[in-house]
Amino acid sequence: MLEEVTDVPTPPDAATEPAPVPAHPDPAAEFPVLVQEDLLVEDVSIDGMCGVY
Amino acid sequence: MPATVLPTPAAPAAPVAGEPAFDLDGAWGLHPQVALRPEAFGALAYHFGTRRLSFLKSPALHALVDSLADHATARAACAAAGVPTAELPSYQRALATLVASDMIVAREPA
Repeated sequence: MLEEVTDVPTPPDAATEPAPVPAHPDPAAEFPVLVQEDLLVEDVSIDGMCGVY
Repeated sequence: MPATVLPTPAAPAAPVAGEPAFDLDGAWGLHPQVALRPEAFGALAYHFGTRRLSFLKSPALHALVDSLADHATARAACAAAGVPTAELPSYQRALATLVASDMIVAREPA
């Protein structure tokens, strides 16, 4: 004997669907200041490197 | 007659929140204990007192830092070094970084 299936799954609600994430977000758009600063000056301390060379 | 598009004035060099401001209209110069060495990417600045190195990663920034003492203001030095007005805020932040590491210091106006 066949059993009738009445509980049909409903399609997902579009309102609760997560927004699509862009595959390649632009890093410069997220960190413009950091990128610009990094382009111009970078500080290094050589303290503690006396035995290296 | 076609409409003329006028260039918009450059935005003032506003400091970024959380960063030290740099007075472009002040007189600045290289710290007496700092040596600059030209490099292909710009220059290396070495402070003999603090034993710190700073990479100046732009030839224009090298020219600017090297000539700070020759100009009444940092703004004049920027103009002489060919820093585009649009890039002035970036260079202002770079100079603030160099002040924080004691590579450049304020001097008495001439």
